[in-house]
Amino acid sequence: MIWETVIGLETHVQLSTKTKLFSRASTAFGAPPNTNVNLVDCGLPGVLPSVNKEAFYKAIRFGIAIGAQINQTSIFDRKNYFYADLPKGYQITQMDLPIVLGGSIEITTDDLSKTINITRAHLEEDAGKSIHDEYDGFSAIDLNRAGTPLLEIVSEPEISSAKEAVAYMKAMHQLVTYLDVSDGNMAQGSLRCDANVSIRKKGNKELGTRTEIKNINSFKFIEKAINYEVKRQIKILENGEKVTQETRLYDSVKDETRPMRSKEFANDYRYFPEPDLLPVVISNEEMQTIKDKFPELPKEKENRYIKEFNLSAYDAQIIASSKSMADFFEDAAKKTTNYSLLSNWLIGDISAFLNKEMIEIHESKLNSVNVAMLINRIDDQTISGKIGKSIFEEMWVSGSSPDEIIESQGLKQISDDGAIEEIIMTVISDNPDQVEAYLGGKDKLFGFFVGQVMKLTEGKANPQTVNKILKEQLKK
Amino acid sequence: MDKETVRTICYLARLRIDQKKSEKIENDLETIIELISGLQSIDTSNIEPLYSPLEMTALKHEDEEKSDNKKEKFLENAPASNDDYFLVPRVVE
Amino acid sequence: MSIQFKSITELRAMLDDKLISPLELAQESHKLANKYKKLNCFVTMDDDFSKKKAGAINLNQENNSLLSGIPLAQKDLFCTQGLRTTCASKILSNFIPPYTATAVKKLEDSGSITIGKTNMDEFAMGSSNETSYFGNVHNPWKKGYVPGGSSGGSAAAVAAGIVPAATGTDTGGSIRQPAAHCGITGLKPTYGRISRWGMIAFASSLDQAGPLARTAEDCAVLLSIMSGHDLKDTTSLNVEVPNFLSKLNDPIKGLKIGIIKEFDLSDLDKEVQTRFEESKKVYEKLGAEFVDVSLPNISASVPTYYSIAPAECSSNLSRFDGVRFGHRAENTDDLNDLYIKSRSEGFGDEVKRRILIGTYALSAGYYDAYYKKAQQVRRLIKNDFDHVFESVDILMTPTSPSTAFKFGSKGAQNPVELYLEDLFTISSNLAGLPAMSIPHGQVNSLPVGLQLIGNFLREDQLLNAAHIFQQNTEFHLAKPNMEDF
Repeated sequence: MIWETVIGLETHVQLSTKTKLFSRASTAFGAPPNTNVNLVDCGLPGVLPSVNKEAFYKAIRFGIAIGAQINQTSIFDRKNYFYADLPKGYQITQMDLPIVLGGSIEITTDDLSKTINITRAHLEEDAGKSIHDEYDGFSAIDLNRAGTPLLEIVSEPEISSAKEAVAYMKAMHQLVTYLDVSDGNMAQGSLRCDANVSIRKKGNKELGTRTEIKNINSFKFIEKAINYEVKRQIKILENGEKVTQETRLYDSVKDETRPMRSKEFANDYRYFPEPDLLPVVISNEEMQTIKDKFPELPKEKENRYIKEFNLSAYDAQIIASSKSMADFFEDAAKKTTNYSLLSNWLIGDISAFLNKEMIEIHESKLNSVNVAMLINRIDDQTISGKIGKSIFEEMWVSGSSPDEIIESQGLKQISDDGAIEEIIMTVISDNPDQVEAYLGGKDKLFGFFVGQVMKLTEGKANPQTVNKILKEQLKK
Repeated sequence: MDKETVRTICYLARLRIDQKKSEKIENDLETIIELISGLQSIDTSNIEPLYSPLEMTALKHEDEEKSDNKKEKFLENAPASNDDYFLVPRVVE
Repeated sequence: MSIQFKSITELRAMLDDKLISPLELAQESHKLANKYKKLNCFVTMDDDFSKKKAGAINLNQENNSLLSGIPLAQKDLFCTQGLRTTCASKILSNFIPPYTATAVKKLEDSGSITIGKTNMDEFAMGSSNETSYFGNVHNPWKKGYVPGGSSGGSAAAVAAGIVPAATGTDTGGSIRQPAAHCGITGLKPTYGRISRWGMIAFASSLDQAGPLARTAEDCAVLLSIMSGHDLKDTTSLNVEVPNFLSKLNDPIKGLKIGIIKEFDLSDLDKEVQTRFEESKKVYEKLGAEFVDVSLPNISASVPTYYSIAPAECSSNLSRFDGVRFGHRAENTDDLNDLYIKSRSEGFGDEVKRRILIGTYALSAGYYDAYYKKAQQVRRLIKNDFDHVFESVDILMTPTSPSTAFKFGSKGAQNPVELYLEDLFTISSNLAGLPAMSIPHGQVNSLPVGLQLIGNFLREDQLLNAAHIFQQNTEFHLAKPNMEDF
């Protein structure tokens, strides 16, 4: 039997506003528990929500970028349910009139691109956090996250594999970071998704019974959770049993999904228009301002890099693919003129280090000033490229500036002709046999002399100077 | 309104009705439902619902922090808390 | 010197003439509250704070407000910082808000002294003040009779002359009906006129704060201070607040008063009808003209209201879950059990009934038939009002179909019986219109109220009509003898 997988993703993007959707409490991550909580966020009696402009602007920016219809009049609804970290007993969300309707996102897997249609994206408030394991017999509630603006983006069930789901989330990450709509930090939960997964016999039109895997927050887990779930469902169906429609959690330690106990009761959310908020209208002037200030997107950046910095199409594409990398490149390019060396470093050594630790460049200890300085020191031949690599390793670990490292470790390249000539003369006089053989036609021995010079200078001799003088002296 | 509906509604509202009062409350609910069912005879085709008497739009605030956090007072009002958190019986997800 | 039964205007003069100090006034007010403890109109007194504040008031300052040094009482659903706020519910019986409601804050900022928090129907759900966790409030006019509700404690405190005025809230008549039953003046302003911030919500799209006082003039004083846009309440109106005192004495010659055809008064007590007819004559003498008007959908007000208000309430009261504040049941198995037990122990029967009805009206399969349908009918009702206000200035009805009744005599068998108490008052909440109740005589020694309904934001016309009526009659000066208390 050939099975076909059908996946729809509901992505929750935390918008990078300074304050919450319905209060002016800070959204900063990592504050002490229950301090980023205003009266409204605590759901105290009698207090009322008011709306944050910027959250709307960010949502609209996203909508424009995916070619969606923007509903300039927003109506909020209450979604009623009880949960420990839901302070009011309802979540304020958008049911009938989402701010973003339609649109699509391009994804690429194995060099094939595919369009995934977006059903809708709506604004809603995040819940708080429950900590289950730290206090004996209790769950502890931290409301810092309660009220943080979320854009929930619902895709059509057009994703056909775990791989495509990952590609979709990567495209989403690129888009929201590029649009400055979100910091996209998955570890902190700024980008997370629920996956609706079902399978059906290949060729069937009807969708199978789906399960919803809640709150997946890394690319790796998306792939693993979906693969596990697909295998589980196939096994069930091949045993002639039926898949139960339910909400499941992915356990990354055991690498499995299991049904969520706390959501076992079928709920009736009793949506109705939020009577504490009048409709929110975005004027045509505001729409125009949002369009006028629209950020540059990856493709536009790529083209500009080719023109402005003379980068190869390949380099431009790689650098522009990550907002974090592109920002870094542009900042560093203000401090150096050797753009191609800069892009070589970013794509080569720096990317290799980043990939190894699975972080983005803004999360590393590197900064654009120091990297530009490193490029400049190689460019002006203060150091060799090889020394550059060892300096870089030091920068990666300590965050120090290259000049400090060069200074403290005495790594400055010897470019002075006289000094190098002196060393070369020593090498020549110490190795008469090799000189004779070289002069007799053994050209390969040239490398031997270079090696000897580098050994004596601890690699600090400028290789071009060494080559030039060595050739002259050997001829004499 | 049958017993099953009453049970579902009670669960959704997280309320339990006293056994002794259940019949009375069920009757009351029935009477009230009868009262509000009177609306069915009114023709409302093509009438937009009026969710607020104010047919206006909301002002939006700037994205600037203005805290009125009172963590200690919040936690003081809580039936169970420690120095940092509200506490509830342990939830198993 | 007795301060009992004095109006704000009278107390102002006493303060300005140095016949009494703000501190003495606050003390007198507290004494009266103590003396009439049996009325049970207060839930919590604010002895220390109010005396300290009253002692600090300097009446020689320039720009002192009319309320400087005046004692007031606040309905116990306005949150008051550091002062217990219960909504007359067990579930909030230990709640100390770390914030003050905007309406109360404005009153306090203008120098008035909050002496305590008044009893009410639990979460403002009731028309007789009999649903309070803290017990019934007596009508100062007759022991064992209800003061009306839900702002029953406020109405009783003013009627008993303990304070010259008090705050109330009105979702379906909760200021006007108790004002009528207690023989005082009460005003429900236009929806959005006064900020709802810090006012514990019953039904968000219907709730509105307002004053209860001895005269229309005093209501105007309070309204001028309580009104205004509040950034913290996006449903508060961003319009200029007029000086409601400036037009009080304008002649009302030519004022067009509408009488609603659909309200058949012949079903009412004969005496209540007589009072109504005589008040019409008073207005006619003052030059007002009466016009019969039709509001074809107004008879649907009660079912409309009892679909919408419980629906909003069912959601508004979800936050009372025993987690962050309020009552939490002991010995609970898990979180769900905690919710169910805490809420079931914490809420009284009427609140539970309304939560259940509201939950039902919003639930899958019923939403369109009840909640949405009611909001559509609501528009029809509002359209009716818009239409009649093209030809009249104000509308006039009785405030309540009857006078105050005996404890336990209504609604015990059938809750709908009590819901019909709101027949005349709830349509103005549905349409968001201002309305007030003024005393216009008595039936069997119990006060009867006359309701005036105004057009959107036209509290000035209402207050003008009410004030002129009070300048030409003495009904508002009647005082209960208080012998039984």
